[in-house]
Formats: sequence, C-alpha cells, structure tokens
Amino acid sequence: MERAVVVSSGTDRPVTAAAPRLALGSIRRSYGSVLALDDASLSVAAGEVHALLGENGAGKSTMMKIAFGLDRADVGTIHIDGRPTTMRSPRDAMAHGIGMVQQHFALVDAMTVAENVALGGIGAFSLEATAATIRRIGVESGLDLDPGAIVRDLPIGAQQRLEIVKALARRTTTLILDEPTAVLSPTESTELLEWIRRFADSGGTVILIAHKLREVLSVADRVTVLRRGRTVLSALASDVTEDSLAGAMLGDSAARAKVSAPAPAAASNGPVVLSVTGVSVADATGIERLRDATLEVRAGEIVGVAAIEGAGQRELLRVLAGRMAPTRGTVHLPASIGFAPEDRHRDAVVLDATLTENVALRGAGQRRGIIGWDALRSTTTAMMKARDVRADSEAVTIRTLSGGNQQKLVLGRELADAPPALVVENPTRGLDIRATADVQAALRAARDAGMAVVVYSSDLDEVLSLADRVVVVAAGRIRDVPSDRESVGRAMLSGVS
Amino acid sequence: MSAQTATDFLDASIRSATPLLLAALGETVAERSGVINVGLEGAIIAGCLAGLVGAAEFGPMAGLAIAGAAGLGIAIIFAVVAIALAADQIITGTAITMLGLGLTSTLYRVLYGDGGAALQTPTLSPIGIPLLRDIPLIGSALFDQPVPTYLAALLVPAVWWGMYRTQFGLALRATGENPAAARASGISPKNMQSFGILFGGLCGGLAGGTLVLAQVGTFAEGMSAGRGFVAIAIVALGRWHPVGAALAALIFGMASALQFLFQALDLKLPYQLFLALPYALTLAALALASGRYRAPKSLGVRLNVAD
Repeated sequence: MERAVVVSSGTDRPVTAAAPRLALGSIRRSYGSVLALDDASLSVAAGEVHALLGENGAGKSTMMKIAFGLDRADVGTIHIDGRPTTMRSPRDAMAHGIGMVQQHFALVDAMTVAENVALGGIGAFSLEATAATIRRIGVESGLDLDPGAIVRDLPIGAQQRLEIVKALARRTTTLILDEPTAVLSPTESTELLEWIRRFADSGGTVILIAHKLREVLSVADRVTVLRRGRTVLSALASDVTEDSLAGAMLGDSAARAKVSAPAPAAASNGPVVLSVTGVSVADATGIERLRDATLEVRAGEIVGVAAIEGAGQRELLRVLAGRMAPTRGTVHLPASIGFAPEDRHRDAVVLDATLTENVALRGAGQRRGIIGWDALRSTTTAMMKARDVRADSEAVTIRTLSGGNQQKLVLGRELADAPPALVVENPTRGLDIRATADVQAALRAARDAGMAVVVYSSDLDEVLSLADRVVVVAAGRIRDVPSDRESVGRAMLSGVS
Repeated sequence: MSAQTATDFLDASIRSATPLLLAALGETVAERSGVINVGLEGAIIAGCLAGLVGAAEFGPMAGLAIAGAAGLGIAIIFAVVAIALAADQIITGTAITMLGLGLTSTLYRVLYGDGGAALQTPTLSPIGIPLLRDIPLIGSALFDQPVPTYLAALLVPAVWWGMYRTQFGLALRATGENPAAARASGISPKNMQSFGILFGGLCGGLAGGTLVLAQVGTFAEGMSAGRGFVAIAIVALGRWHPVGAALAALIFGMASALQFLFQALDLKLPYQLFLALPYALTLAALALASGRYRAPKSLGVRLNVAD
C-alpha cells in the first residue's frame, strides 16, 4: 500500500518523498486491558495534506498524541525525515517542527492571545515582541487575531485560529489537526480547509483527523484509515471515494446501511407543544443575545435551527427547553421537556458518577425522600439495552464510555418519562458515523412518536437532513426560510457584518 | 493622637506585616502554579524553631537563613507527597501543618527540657537607612527596620517581575490555569508546581525566622498562631498578585497593630478583642474576595498522571 511518489491533488505539483516527513511504524499502545493501537502505521510525506480517518475509538487521537509526545507507544518506531526519533514530551516534537491542535484546545483561557502564543519559551517575556509576531503571522497566513484579547472572550473559531498561530509562532512545519472542523460553522470550516491547502502548497505538512468524508476528500492528498487500532487502508485521495472510505472505516456493510438517512416526513399538523412569543434574552452585561423571537413547535415535527456560532441560538434553545427565563416575552411550555446540551461533559453528565447516578439526575430536584436505587438500576439497565449503550454494567462511571455511548444514555434519560418535547444541541458533535446514525435515528423516532423536537447543529447538512422545517437564527433574530441549503446558508450570514 | 503614637503604630504595623508578607508572597507563587499549600503554617513554625536554634549557634543572620532552609525542608515533604505521589493538596497540607506544629513542640522540649525554658536569642537589630530614616512621621517606621522587612519589600517587585516578565513566570501562571495547555506547550507542570511549593516553603520558613528573630526574640509552642492561614487569606484578598498581597499584608499588619495603638490611647476595651481582629478580618477578607476575583482555575486540582 505504500507509494514512493505522492502527487498532490490540490495542485499538479509533484512531491517526491525520498524519506517521509513523519513515519510511525507498527505502533502498539494499550491502556490497562484496552488495546488502543495494535500494529498501526502512518507515513506522511513533506508538503502533503494527509487525512487520518477512523471511527471514534479507532485510535486516531492516540496515534497523534504519540506523534506529538503527549503519549508514548508501548512498541513501535517514529521516524522524522528518515531518522529514528523518540518523543518524550511535546518539547521534543516541537523541536522537530511538529505542532498539534488538539480536539479540546490547549489554551489558557484567562490569559491573552499573546501570552498563549508566548507560552513554552525561555528567557524574558516581552508582550510587545509576541504581539509583533502575532501580527506578522496574521499578515502572512491570513489568520488574524488581536494579541491583547482574552482567550475566554474569543469565539470558538478564533480560539482555533489561535491554536494554529501558536504552532506557526514556533516555526511548525508539520501540523497535526485533531477534528478541527467539528466545532466550526460551515463558513469557518471552508476557510480552515482553504488555509490548510495553502499551508501545504507553501511547503507545510498537515495531518488532518476528521469525520466528514466529503470535507476530507476536498482537501487531502492522501488518506490513512484506522480500524480498531490497525491501519487498514493507506491510499491517494484520488483513488478512493466516500463510499470506499466508509467501508474501510466501518468494516462491515450492515453498519453502512444504517448511515444513509431516510427522507424527512411531511409537515406536521399536530397541536402546538412549545410556544414562545416576542421573547428576548439579555446576557449579564445587558446585551440582547436573542431579540423578539417568536416560534411554535408542533407535536410530531422536527424543527431544525441553523445558525452561526453566537447568533443567539444557544439562548433560544435554552428558553425552548425551559432552562432559561427570558428577559421579555411570553412562553408556553409543557412541564417536562427533554434537553441534551452540546457540552455533554460540562452540562449533561457527572463524569465520575455511575450510569445509574447520571440517569437519576433527571428530575432529582423534584424528588423527595429516600432514593429507590433498585428501581433506578433496573431502569438504567433497560435503558442501556433499548438505546444500545455499550458498557460493562450500569455501575461503571460514565467517563469510561465513548462519546457516542454517553450521548445515547443522555438521550435515553431525557426521553425516559416520554416528555412531549425534546430539545437537542449539536447532538452528534464528536461522535463517529455509527453513533451519529443511532442518535439521528433516535431523534426521528421521537418525532414519529409524536414529540415536538428541536435540533440545533453547527453542521448545516445535519440540520437539513433531520429537520422537517428549518428556522435560522441570525444576529439574535429568528427567520423562517425554505429548507434548501442555499437559502438557509444565506439567511445564516444575514445580519453579519 | 500624637505624632509619636502615629509613628509607633505605623512601625508596629510594618513589623506585624513583615512575616505575613513573606509568607503570602511565597503562597502567591505557589497558588499561581495551581497549588494551595495549607502546610504553610507548618513551614512557618519550622522556621520559628530553626531560626531560634540557628541564631543561638551561629548568630541571627545565619538563624534567618536556617529558618528559610527549614521551611524549604518541610516544603520538600509536601512536594513529594502532593506532586510526585499526586496526593490531595488540602489533606497533605493539613498533615504537614500538624507535623510542623507537633515536631517543633517535641524538638523544643527535647532540646530545652520539659519546661521549655524560655530561651532568649540574639535578635536582628534594625538597620537605619541614612537620611530616609529621618523623614518625620514615617521615616523610622519605614527605614529603620531589621533585614527581613527590607527583604520582603524587595521581594514584591522581584516576584512581580519574575511572574509577569519572564517566560518562567508565564509558564508557572499557565500551569495554575490549565496544566494540560502548559504541557502541550512543552512545559512540565510538575516542575512548575514543585517550584511553587519550594519557593512557598522557603518564604514560609523566612516568615517564621522573622517572627522569632525580629519580633518575639524567643520560641513558644504554636507561636505561628495561624499566620499561615492568615497568609492564605492575604493571597486571596490580594487577588493572587504580589502587589495586592503587599497591600493586603499591610492591612493585616495594621489590624494587629491596633492593639498597641489602643493601649497607647488608653482605651478601656478588652485587649482580646484586638487579638481576635486579624482573624475576624481573615474571614471577612475571604468572604469578600471569593466570587469577586477569580482564583487560578486549576488551583488545588491534582495533576493528571501524564502531566
């Protein structure tokens, strides 16, 4: 499967790969009894965009952490420019020009952009010199940042730019990006992919971990697929299709059949379940995040919410879910509404509590007296079976579960008392293909069972594939739009300077 | 209030503030690295006894250095348990404080007999700075002090410079906020936190030495009297900033000095009221500081094994 010569798909520029820029050979890594990587290999030529694909748990992130010195292989070799190398820490990797943007950003959010960029240097620290570096990189790369801004105030897209600028400031020539587009809006994703292409065309090397195959094929020169810790495919991007990649990732045709989405149902005539009229929400500083929003959601329909990050959809969803009181306006909501927020770890579960304890969280504020653990345990076990949550037992901590299994349990919990409405926010963020399909099927099933369902996703394709009706939130206001990609995309950007 | 009373009050404030400031500066550095060192009290009391013994043997300046070394020694124990063995910081710190208080009492009795003969030690005499000490009202209070006061005063800008103008300081502060981010930038969070603890211990030991050699002139069991915890409150009140710590330490010093002032003014109030004042102020400071200002985000959080 190895090829000596790689041809870039983005340009006609041939790249000869005398020695690969970075090669990981026969990597093996186990955590206790779990074998994360078993004979995984990867060879990346200088100047190429190399996509690393695989389901969640296939070992992609582990492999890249090993390449960046954040983790160490039990067995295996690392070669840089043909020379065998050991990576003891990120410092070693950086010395070889390797940088990494992790899926969960490694930023100090109480510090400024400049302080984050300067982090890891030696000697005296000069804010002015660092700010100058940031401006120079901004001019050269188009990645614009305000050196004095506090990271916590930056939108997520800017935080990612900062991670890349950090790497560039350290003269990174090989950049590892772990699911960079998962947190970005469609426009931001497109911009990032264009930047990746430019970086590679100017001689840089990129290793891109991603889930969205269309995206991957639009930018990658070469792809490597991991399945259950093994390398199962390494090929030119021009030699593969979305279908053949999905096949390699999943390994069986049955799983693939689940992925294709059924057509949305016809418009609902059910009774109105969720209703908000003239609702506004102001944040702590008095700025109105949501303005004069009016929306009705009927039983038996999925309303898709499309928005770019920070447009006010976060507040709209929380008002609809009864989790946030509006500053103005009236709401008519049922007593029980299921809610799955986007930041699962922070807002939906207690990571170090057991599955049963996490299930018990729903409605815990209303219950009094002694907890019926036996009943809760059997409820949880039944829920795991019904929702295909894979875990050893209900007594394990939810931290030990994959993101997909965590999300399935959260949905199971929120739907357990068959509430008339369900609100979900980025329900498949960070999930692999199989778990994504399961979650989407669960949302459709809830709709078919007569629930009013509201879905927000930063992935526009997901909104369009799930929703019976789409509303766009732009600059704090709601707009009703036809459900085609073009109209929705335009409406999302309206009101944005 | 006469001018002499005002000067005496200011002088007493500075004297009381000095050990608090030394301890609080060390604790500021430790907390900015993400470690809350409840063992600070243990380092201070170790510094007290070591200062006494050291001064009796080698003179007061050597005694001060030995006090610092004793604080450092206590801090090494803390660092090994809390960082290398990744134990809980609060529990470890509490144990270290108990150890410090118990060990010094035992050693004192072993060295000086069961009665703990009230041993007098040579003390650090004030060093007047020519001209400056002659400034009316504040001169003698600010510029006629023993060495530790000048040391503490110089340490404020030094700690500030180290924390905000060097890459090392940036790395230390980043560790206190987000150790994973620090690690991804090639920094060793363990090394940063170990430094924070050791520096905190050194300063705690010096604070203990100051207490014995520049103020009391003798050792008594438990003489640190909660100053370690007061210093932790000062750090919070000073918003985890060295200059803030200096101002907060001065406020606490003044609170302690009030008792002398009221005695001088011959007010008929029970003196216990003023003894309690710094501790009441500690509670008030913590209540005020919490919530309004943000502590380092990862303060008190154990590092992951990988960090």
